[in-house]
This record gives sequence, structure tokens and C-alpha cells, in this order.
Amino acid sequence: MKNLKKLLALSLAFVLAIGVSACGSSTKDGGSDTSASGKEVYRTLDEIKKDGTINIGVFSDKNPFGYVDENGEYQGYDVYFADRLAKDLGVKVNYVSTEAANRIEYLQTGKVDVILANFTVTEERAEEVDFANPYMNVSLGVVSRDDNVITSLDNWNKDDSIIVISGTTAETYLTKNYPDIPLQKFDSYATAKEAFENGTSVAWANDNTEVIAFSLQNKGYTVGIPELGSADSIAPAVTKGNDTLLNWINDEITSLGEENFFHADYEATLADTYGMDYEDSLVVEGGKTE
Amino acid sequence: MNWDFIMEYLPMYERAAILTVKLGLIGIAFAVLVGLICAMIQYHKIPVARQIVAVYIELSRNTPLLVQLFFIYYGLPKLGLQFGPELCGIIGLAFLGGSYMAESFRSGLETIEPIQRESALSLGMTNRQTMQYVILPQAVSISVPAFVANVIFLLKETSVFSAISLMDLMFTAKDLIGLYYKTIESLFLLVVFYLIILLPVSILGSLLERRLRHAGFGA
Amino acid sequence: MLDLGLDVLLKGTNMVRLLQGLWVAMQISLVSIAISMPLGILAGGLMTMKNRLVRFIFRIYLEFIRIMPQLVLLFIVYFGSTRVFGWNLSGESASVIVFVLWGTAEMGDLVRGALISIPKHQYESSEALGLSKLQTYRYVIIPQTVRRLIPLAINLITRMIKTTSLVLMIGVVEMLKVAQQIIEANRMTSPNAAFGVFLIVFILYFLACWPISMLARYLEKRWR
Repeated sequence: MKNLKKLLALSLAFVLAIGVSACGSSTKDGGSDTSASGKEVYRTLDEIKKDGTINIGVFSDKNPFGYVDENGEYQGYDVYFADRLAKDLGVKVNYVSTEAANRIEYLQTGKVDVILANFTVTEERAEEVDFANPYMNVSLGVVSRDDNVITSLDNWNKDDSIIVISGTTAETYLTKNYPDIPLQKFDSYATAKEAFENGTSVAWANDNTEVIAFSLQNKGYTVGIPELGSADSIAPAVTKGNDTLLNWINDEITSLGEENFFHADYEATLADTYGMDYEDSLVVEGGKTE
Repeated sequence: MNWDFIMEYLPMYERAAILTVKLGLIGIAFAVLVGLICAMIQYHKIPVARQIVAVYIELSRNTPLLVQLFFIYYGLPKLGLQFGPELCGIIGLAFLGGSYMAESFRSGLETIEPIQRESALSLGMTNRQTMQYVILPQAVSISVPAFVANVIFLLKETSVFSAISLMDLMFTAKDLIGLYYKTIESLFLLVVFYLIILLPVSILGSLLERRLRHAGFGA
Repeated sequence: MLDLGLDVLLKGTNMVRLLQGLWVAMQISLVSIAISMPLGILAGGLMTMKNRLVRFIFRIYLEFIRIMPQLVLLFIVYFGSTRVFGWNLSGESASVIVFVLWGTAEMGDLVRGALISIPKHQYESSEALGLSKLQTYRYVIIPQTVRRLIPLAINLITRMIKTTSLVLMIGVVEMLKVAQQIIEANRMTSPNAAFGVFLIVFILYFLACWPISMLARYLEKRWR
């Protein structure tokens, strides 16, 4: 009985100690989150500089654009650019792993300063966030298995479904233009690809860059529809109204154009997958599309 | 709050709610079946089967449904075992729920004192009759509160079905947030629909619990 | 040989990262449980109060928290709070908030259950023995309540650890997200990684929760 009491007293003290220290550390976290934000949700260029860390939202499961390698380092075309942005800004970079459907949300709630997650510019999105100048061309594409290559979305067999990722332009496009095609929706690249490989759907619709990469990286797949919908571009995005940061990124993209930065980025991150054939069609240099 | 948006997407939530309830109920039905079998095996102390049941219960109770689903839906096809997302959800729910149901049935059975069984047998009832007329009716009513709690728990757990591409309530909300950026409205509808589904079960549960307590079953 | 896709775990720091992911999940649940314990005890005490209004308010809180799937609560706090209050929460802080809200409700209910399970005659006998109210609680009621409570509270820890698997959905990089990243980075070289990696995640969750469940059961048996 006496031992039990001691044990109880000890565990109670332990619990309280953890509670107090946890409260302390959690308020510290909260402080750094809110201190800079003030009234606006976003942080201006100066505030980011003063803080010394920029929060950039990237994909962590979209090889070769944004992914995490076996040593836990973020890699890919978007990340290569993000690293450079942070370096030229003179701050450290904190990567925030994002899913397609969360990108707008993350900016609007100030959880990240910039989204560099292969973000296609669309009118609807431009009403919610501010896009900087583009750094890549993109369109939609559809990849399917070699034994059942899909080359057209017309006369669709309703028993078949297409995989899309929630919150992508492919989802919006198919919902709007082909409302009768059954969609199988996933919330991350990792799960969508896994399900497509496992054969749950006949096709996967996404950015054509991504489906082409998939067909090149995996045997047995063909991109039957390489271009669908309009030709779009991919650009960094910031919270609406964050002009200081937006202008700085635009200037940065322009000056990076002079050293052909995005071609170097392509060669460092995408050439392994795409070869050199796609370099000129994919890369946008200096923020100017043709 | 944008009411036009809410009205426009109400039907989508209705479909999602129906899917949630449908898969939830089928999954729970199988969970009850699995639970009954396991409880019977444990009650009658059937060798080997009993050990298997014990291992199953530990595995199922000590891992999250989301991880179970990921393994079933994304992992097993690599070995050639492929299920559609709906079947997967049902299997997952039955796997998880089976152990919870088994535990509640078992504790119900355990509260019936051996003397009841002995008396029934000495009255000339067969084993089956004893089970059917004496043990089970009492055991079932004792386990009702735990059973209802399990039902609510399992219906809640269906919210992770969204991870295997099932368009349930959770996925619909996530999807609408991603597509139209209407966070507040989407979350509002989500909460309302979960309340519509779960509140009646919860109220029914507490009514039953009170009634059974008055009836003086068990303790 | 059947390729189970286990080889990717030996590459680079993959296995360590997976364990770090588990540690993130454990931290969230341990911090949350540490905060919800004292809060839950307080809530449980308040719930047994005679004041109807207090009881009513706690009842609503308890019912709402327990009825909503934890994933819904995570979404409300993570996305909704910024919209409504302008708070900016990281996924981790949002998870801790939700788990504390939930843990407090559950713990409060457990405390309430334990308190009302102490028969009235215990209070009366203590009074008859001449113990003051404080002494009654200190020497009679609380020791018994705590004994009933601790196994249940330990069970709550395993429930929290299991529920941390959901924080993946609000962008916290925990074990499941690390698992996805590993599978994705090695899709070409190890096509069956999904089997092996998710199997390991399953086993790791089991290894994290099982000993705690066993402890709870042991204490329950011993103290009953």
C-alpha cells in the first residue's frame, strides 16, 4: 500500500512535469507561428528575412518534381528552384509537405509563404492566390496500360474509371468537360500511382509532365493522350496581396533567366527521366512563355 | 456562409452519406459475425483456434484502421491479392471491428455465472438450447451498451475510407475544399451530416443503456 | 524468391526516418495525454457537480467531441480555425489541440465513471469514522478512483497513438507519410515496396501499442 502511494505520487509529479514542459514548448511553437503574422495571414518579404526562414510548400511524393530521397532530403525540379530562392534571399528554407488539394488552403491560412508544388496557373486559382511569372509549361495528359492504350475520352465505357488526384487541374477539367466519366479520386500522388500500378483503373489523368514521367519511369505504360485541354503554365504562388514577396520572386525569375537557370534545373533534375528531348518544350526561362 | 453553395452541393453530401452508412453497416454486420465466432471460440476454449483468435484480437486492436487499409489496399495487390476500394473498406472495418465486438460479447458471456449453465443442463436442456435460451439472451443484453459504443466507434472510423479513394463524407469535404476553396461551408456540411448519422445512434445507445439498467440485467 | 519490397528499408536512412515518423506520432500523443490527464480529471470532477448548468455544458462538449470522427475535428481545427479566428497553426499544434480536446473529454468521462462507481456507503462510512471531507477524499475515495482510472487512462494512450495515424491527412509528416515518400522515391528500383513498407508500418504501430495495452490489462487485473 505504501509503495503504491509512492508510485502514485511519483507518476502524478511526472505527469504534471510533462504537462508543464509541454505547455511551455507548445506556446513557444504557437508564438513563432503567430508573432510575425500580425493582422495579415501572410509574411512580407522583410518579415521573412528577419525571421531567417522561408516556408515553402512542395510535394514530397511527386518524383521528379518534388520528392524526398532515401536520405530524407527534398529533391526535384521545384525543390532545386526553391533552394535557389532561399539562397538568394539569404534565408534558410523550411519545406512543408503538401498535397494537391491543400495548396490554396496553405497559402490562404499562411501556413507557407510560397507554394512551389507544380502549381498550374488557372483563372479560378488566380482569384484565390497570387501567381508569379511561370517557370514551366504544362498541359494535361492521360496515361494508360500498353495493352489498353486510351487515345480518346469520347465514347467512354462507363464501367471504366480514370484516376485523378483531388485538387488538380485534371480533376477540374474532367469534372467540367467529361462529367460522365467515373473518376477515382486520391488525395496524394503516392496513393494515386500505387492504385494505378495495382490496376484499379484503366487510365490516370494528370499534368502531362507527370504522366510522361510515369510512362518513362515504369515499363508497360503509354501516354495515349499527351495533350488535353489548354496549354498552361506552372508558376510559384503566394498569398493574395503579398506584393513584396511576389515582386521579389518575379525579379528573381527574370534575373535567373539571364543565367539560364531553369535549363540547368532541368538538366540536374529532369534529364534523368525525360532525356533532353523535352527540355525546350518544358522549360520556361525568365518568366516568359512564348 | 454561402448558402447557395451549400444547397448546390447538398446532393453530393447525401450520396456520400449514403455510401458512409452503407459501407459502415455492411462492415459492422461482418464485424458482428467475426466477433461472435471469436467470442464463441474463446468461450468454448477450442484449442488452436483460440490461440489464433487471441493473436488476431491483439493485432486488430493495437493497429490503426488507416494503416490496416493502406496495407490491404496498396500493399496486398503486390502479392496478387486485389480488392476494389469498397470491398477493401468493408474488409478493413470487419477486421478492426471483429475484435472489438468479440471483446464485448466475451465480457457479456463471462458475466453469466456457470451455475446458470449447469442448472440449464441439469434441467435436461441440450448444449445448444442452453446457449440459445439461457446464456445468449442474457449475454447479449449485457453487452448492448458496449455494442452500441462499438457501432458508433466503427461508423466514426469510416472517415478514413477517404484514403482509399472512397467518396465518403470526409472525401467530399476534402475534395470541395480543394476544388472550390469553400472551407467553412464544406466543413459545416461535413459536421451536419456526421451529426445526422451518429446522433440518433448515440441517443438510442443511452436510452437502451438506461432501460437495460432498470430491467436489472447482469449486476 | 518472392519480392516483398523490404530491401528499400535498408537504403540510406529510410528505416531511421520511418522510426522518426513513429516518434513524431508518439510525441504528439504523449504531449496530448500529459495535458489531457489533469484537464480531464478537472472536467470529470466538474461533471459530477450538482450544478445543472455546468453538467449540461460539459455534456454537450463531451457528446460533440465523442460523436465527431477525430479526422473531422482535425480538419475543423487545422483549416477552420485559421478561417474563423485567424490563428495560424502548424499541423502538429493542430493535432495536439484536437487530441487534448478529445483526451480531456474521454478522460473526463472516465473520471466521472470512476467517481460515481464508488458506492455511497464509502462516503458515509468515512464520515461515521470521523474523517473530514478532505480526509475522506484523500484516504478513501481518490485512491480507489485512481486504481480504477489508471488502466483506462493507459488504454487511452494506445487509442491516441493509433489515432495519430490520421495526422497524415493534415500534412504532418509522420510514419505513414514517410512510408509513402520512401515508396515513391524507390518506385523504379523496388516496385513491390508498398507491400514491405506498409507491412513494417503495421508492425511498428503494433509494437508501439501492444506493450501499453498489456500493461493496462495487467494493472486492471491486479487492482480489481
